Amino acid sequence: MTTGAVVTMVVMWLVFIGALTWCSSRLGKGGKWED
Amino acid sequence: MAEVTRERWSNRTLFIFAAIGSAIGLGNIWRFPYLSYEYGGGVFLIPWVIGLIVLGIPWMMMEFGMGRYFQKGAPGVFEGIGKKWEWVGWWPVFCAFLIDTYYVVILAWSLRYVVSSATMAWGMGEAGATGAGSYFFEQVLHLSSGPSVLGAPVLPLLGFLALTWVVLFFIMFKGARVIGKVAVWTVTIPWALLLVLLVRGLTLPGAIDGLNYYLSPDLAALGNVDVWFAAFSQIAFTLSLGMAGMFAYGSFIAKKADVTNNAFIASFSNCATSFFAGFAVFSIVGFIMQALSVPVGDVSSAGLGLAFVTFPVGISMLPGANAFIGILFFLCVFFLGIDSAFFLAYGGVIAPLMDKFGWSRVKATAIVCVVAFAIGIVYTTTGGLYWLDIVDRTVCFYGLLITGALACLVVGWGFGADKLRAHLNETSDIKVGSWWNWLLKIVVPLGLLFVVIYGGFLQDIPTSYGGYPRWATNVMWIILGVTLLLSFWFQAIKTKGPKEGE
Repeated sequence: MTTGAVVTMVVMWLVFIGALTWCSSRLGKGGKWED
Repeated sequence: MAEVTRERWSNRTLFIFAAIGSAIGLGNIWRFPYLSYEYGGGVFLIPWVIGLIVLGIPWMMMEFGMGRYFQKGAPGVFEGIGKKWEWVGWWPVFCAFLIDTYYVVILAWSLRYVVSSATMAWGMGEAGATGAGSYFFEQVLHLSSGPSVLGAPVLPLLGFLALTWVVLFFIMFKGARVIGKVAVWTVTIPWALLLVLLVRGLTLPGAIDGLNYYLSPDLAALGNVDVWFAAFSQIAFTLSLGMAGMFAYGSFIAKKADVTNNAFIASFSNCATSFFAGFAVFSIVGFIMQALSVPVGDVSSAGLGLAFVTFPVGISMLPGANAFIGILFFLCVFFLGIDSAFFLAYGGVIAPLMDKFGWSRVKATAIVCVVAFAIGIVYTTTGGLYWLDIVDRTVCFYGLLITGALACLVVGWGFGADKLRAHLNETSDIKVGSWWNWLLKIVVPLGLLFVVIYGGFLQDIPTSYGGYPRWATNVMWIILGVTLLLSFWFQAIKTKGPKEGE
């Protein structure tokens, strides 16, 4: 693969994994699911 | 009057899966990868992620948040803001309904291809590669010469359409609790199937060349307005917003539960799936390029052509297990689309009808399924593909973008972005700042209007859409006008609302 393609792949997966990990770490810090 | 009990998701996980399932659809596999290749490779992902953050996620928070605030589907939400705005909620309902009438037909095609794959009906090897296109257009669709030649319904397609609507009825008639449980499967099965396809694709010769076309960045593309248009339009379409359904899905969230974090998770999961699907698609594209010795431009395509022509070409050229991979791919297409189909029907149409007219869930579901099936018969005729394309342009492009911009403006300026933000922050895991107000009030509507003007009116007014006769483009404006008039009519109808327990 070209260097650009590898960089794109690595950066994008870091973005997605980082974002979803951060969201997961916030789970339950706000409201309650039950009324 | 007895208080109406709103139906609820069984738990947070099921809601998140339902939201992800509604967002993930056919576009993730057949539109995003092509756009990335066409508009600068890896560089396309920069405006795409920016569009996700400034347009997609704030818009999704608004739809979830307003649904939860009013505990109603889209029309009930806008009626709650002011009786004069109820039509703003009905317009996307009619658009969602029309989208579902042809979307389910595409699912019927995919079931047809599951059967075709078992015998590799379009042929094997080079014969299959050259015959895949004619098989789709001539033997599956029996395509006529133009939209004015409608012809008779193609019976196998009609049968698979009926079957798909029966399946949808049984998924939807018990409401959100069953929908959530089904969504867990309809999200995870395509993920698993995409993984299998990716592994198969990566082990084929030429796969790396395909991935280079998909991901190699062309930095100069960032200065091209078409790249930004493509990225923002993809974000506008990929999250299933502007189709009324997310208001209803939000209304099934408990009053004290999170909204913003769910919006982040659903949006990022959807986009991660698109990115992942691109690897599976372009590894096969690279394989076809090498096997047939053709340039990438001859192989890569978006939309129906990718799923029903390009992929069958690749499948016929595989060194082994052709039928197995074909069945897996078209099952993947079916499962990717089925949860968007029941999202459009249930959240987009059935829940608003129940809110307004007090119909039972079974009655509303049966009526929607039968009427949508009846309209869908048009797309199973020999001229159906042309009408599918024309109606898609009308409701899934113009309808979605215009009603989405209107909704953001009415909520942002009429209801009050600050009031909604306070409501969101009261119970959500992630608190949003005042920047969100301006995204909702200005950036999102302007972004959507940019897409609809630049990619829509400026194209379709001087030149007839898709090369169709001018009258076909005029039909688009008529359909759009009729759905708008129906919205005002439904606003004017006085009802007693839902009964207790419905």
